[in-house]
Amino acid sequence: MEGQLALYFTLRQQKTIMKDVYYQPPLKASRGLYVHNPDDISVYLMESSGGLVAGDTNSFDVKLDSGTTVTLHPQAATKVYPAYNGKPSKQQVRVELAEKASLTWKREEVIPFAESDFSSHTIINMKCDSKFYWEEILYPGREKRGETFTFHGCQTQLEVWMEDDCIVYDQLSLHPDKQNLKHAGVLGNYHYIASVWLIDQDIRIDPEAWNETTTDHIVSTTRLRNAGYLVRFLSNDLPRVKREMDQIAESTKAVEN
Amino acid sequence: MKQQNDDLQNLSNTEGISTKFLYLMHIHDSAFPIGSYTHSFGMETFIQSDTIRTKEDLFQFCKMYLHENVAYTDGIFVKESYVTEDMSALIRLDKICDANKNAEETREASAMIGKQFVKAVLPVSETPSLEAWYQLLQDKQVMSHFPIVYGLYAKDLAFDLYTAVLTFLYSSTVGLVHNAVRAIPLGQKAGIEVIHRLIPEMEKATKQVLERSLADLSNHAVGLELASMQHKYLTSRLFIS
Repeated sequence: MEGQLALYFTLRQQKTIMKDVYYQPPLKASRGLYVHNPDDISVYLMESSGGLVAGDTNSFDVKLDSGTTVTLHPQAATKVYPAYNGKPSKQQVRVELAEKASLTWKREEVIPFAESDFSSHTIINMKCDSKFYWEEILYPGREKRGETFTFHGCQTQLEVWMEDDCIVYDQLSLHPDKQNLKHAGVLGNYHYIASVWLIDQDIRIDPEAWNETTTDHIVSTTRLRNAGYLVRFLSNDLPRVKREMDQIAESTKAVEN
Repeated sequence: MKQQNDDLQNLSNTEGISTKFLYLMHIHDSAFPIGSYTHSFGMETFIQSDTIRTKEDLFQFCKMYLHENVAYTDGIFVKESYVTEDMSALIRLDKICDANKNAEETREASAMIGKQFVKAVLPVSETPSLEAWYQLLQDKQVMSHFPIVYGLYAKDLAFDLYTAVLTFLYSSTVGLVHNAVRAIPLGQKAGIEVIHRLIPEMEKATKQVLERSLADLSNHAVGLELASMQHKYLTSRLFIS
């Protein structure tokens, strides 16, 4: 299937509205909701097929006009089914942020089933004064079915360009058959890779607050070149990862307010 | 410099090729002032947590560093820099290299070594690409990451791509072994044994890099990246990164 979802947000009388929506099943968007305040519109991204089958491609195009503030919530984790026909499942996300636009893309979770092959490419074009917040968790598979790193391949790429400058060019390409994932320098004994990207020239967080190593959880923070932070996790404690991601999101809101 | 140019133009002369190779050996000498021997790129965090304690630990770490890190990141940047002709494409490559290094200390180390390398080789070599690059560096249009300028240097000196990538992987890995021998500490004999066991791995990794392109970049050595992020919080440090 070739799912498509294109969303266009603009300002009307200082209020962010969703002006245009184009969708092609299995993708669909909820109507815009004003959960916190009229300046911030929330939209749920829905996927009616229950997951990506081999050969499927889901494409998202999101455009924010100047001064708009948007929060997108994937309704459920992206489940990737086995690639029995040898074709990968793909996801493409393209985002354009105009001046002073702010986009928060809440937790993007990917669960690659055994023998699946997944590839995603997320590319953001933004201005120096626009803001982009992206959360992602990569699962090792359906752990309760005994699937840990039994997929063929799982590749996620996040690319963020702030005008002419490349701020993020992060590709995680996991191929358990070809790589030594168990070494401590790779994933060690951890199963979940999670990332919080805060691309915002004005944001300040305390990196030491997100720097800890325990037997089932590592988190650390790094400054991106003049444009925000990456908080990265390797963990076996999924509830803790989600809790800490929520705390980071809350702390950044507190700074904004 | 005249001798150097004569050597370069005399590729069919094996004597010339051997002599030419000395220029490459020279820049990989530990005394060559580019600072690569002051960085551990996150390894020191693993040494302090006792993850690397023995000769075998060090070998396994360097093997991982080679196959899961350098062969998926900097090795590809050396290759891409070597094969890219257009200067605007090279500037874009340097930007991507900068953004690809998430951990701040590793990113700064790579740029610092690259800048020192350009400044060290320019006065003694005729390298038109690096001369143009130096102007961009002065104009602050590039960060000048080491794999990018190394690829340019190797191409200007007419080394083949295989040699360029292999020697880059060699110096990246051997530099870590030398540092580990001091930091763990291990004896010099242990360091020599580790390097000898790593040389066949370097050959394998180089062949893999030659098959790869920018689309194959991967930061899946997440443990190493986290170790590099955490390095600044170690209570005592021998290395800058």
